[in-house]
Amino acid sequence: MFKDLNPILHSQLRLALVSILISVKEAEFTFLKEKTSATAGNLSVQINKLKEAGYIDVSKQFKDNYPQTICKITPQGVLAFEQYVKDLQSYLDIKK
Amino acid sequence: MSAEKEFTTQESLQLISRMISKAKDDYIETGVTALMWGAIITFCSLVALFKYLFFPAWEWVDAVWWLTFLGVIPQIVIAQREKKLRKHRGHDDYLRGGVWISFGIAIILMNYFLLRYNFPQPISVYLILYGIPTFAIGFGRRFRAMIIGGVACWVFAILSSITPGPWQLLYLAGGSQLAWFIPGLILRKRYLKAKQNNV
Repeated sequence: MFKDLNPILHSQLRLALVSILISVKEAEFTFLKEKTSATAGNLSVQINKLKEAGYIDVSKQFKDNYPQTICKITPQGVLAFEQYVKDLQSYLDIKK
Repeated sequence: MSAEKEFTTQESLQLISRMISKAKDDYIETGVTALMWGAIITFCSLVALFKYLFFPAWEWVDAVWWLTFLGVIPQIVIAQREKKLRKHRGHDDYLRGGVWISFGIAIILMNYFLLRYNFPQPISVYLILYGIPTFAIGFGRRFRAMIIGGVACWVFAILSSITPGPWQLLYLAGGSQLAWFIPGLILRKRYLKAKQNNV
């Protein structure tokens, strides 16, 4: 039997965010916005959901007098992503 | 991109690989630093060769090597500017920084020993040092131009040891071209192309 896919990650934008964050050490909000082509509002909501799930860390700082939001995947987020990919693979194997 | 839109497992996998490659594609350097060092070392080597061949009495021309120290100033400015422009940090950023800092320290120490003692083949030793960070970074990044550049520096180190006097400087110029200037040109081209695509 295949496992139910993690509902936090099985969402287009959240999965896109986690996929980007797994490839880098940390990324600015503007970088994530540029790569996902999402609106700032939608992106903020999804980032908050991932943060509440403990999958990402969000820190705010100032750079050249401008506020900056930095996102970083947590070890829990890495585990959840790995499990999600495994579940996807088992699901695809069953479908074959 | 929507958050709650239904999508299949196949689409999930495609999305993951697309996003990973998008993030990876952004690991693009401006290439300015590599171009600058390639140009400085080539210029200094050729000027020094010209002096040895045609004006050996003009000791003051040797001052051209001070350009390699002065190059540290624009290097710091460029590094700060690139740091400001970067919107993300990669997993290997600190490692790469560490490799280049170790190289810088090794070159400073090499200059110190060169001034203090009489080295038999200083150019060969410089070329060996040039090859280390170039090959290491090229190998880590799977960047063929730098791998070739690093190996070329080591080959030139051997060749320069059997080449008479001032002609060894040609290997130094060749090594800096292959290790930095040509990879720098490739990086610059990639950077400008990526910048154009993002507009």
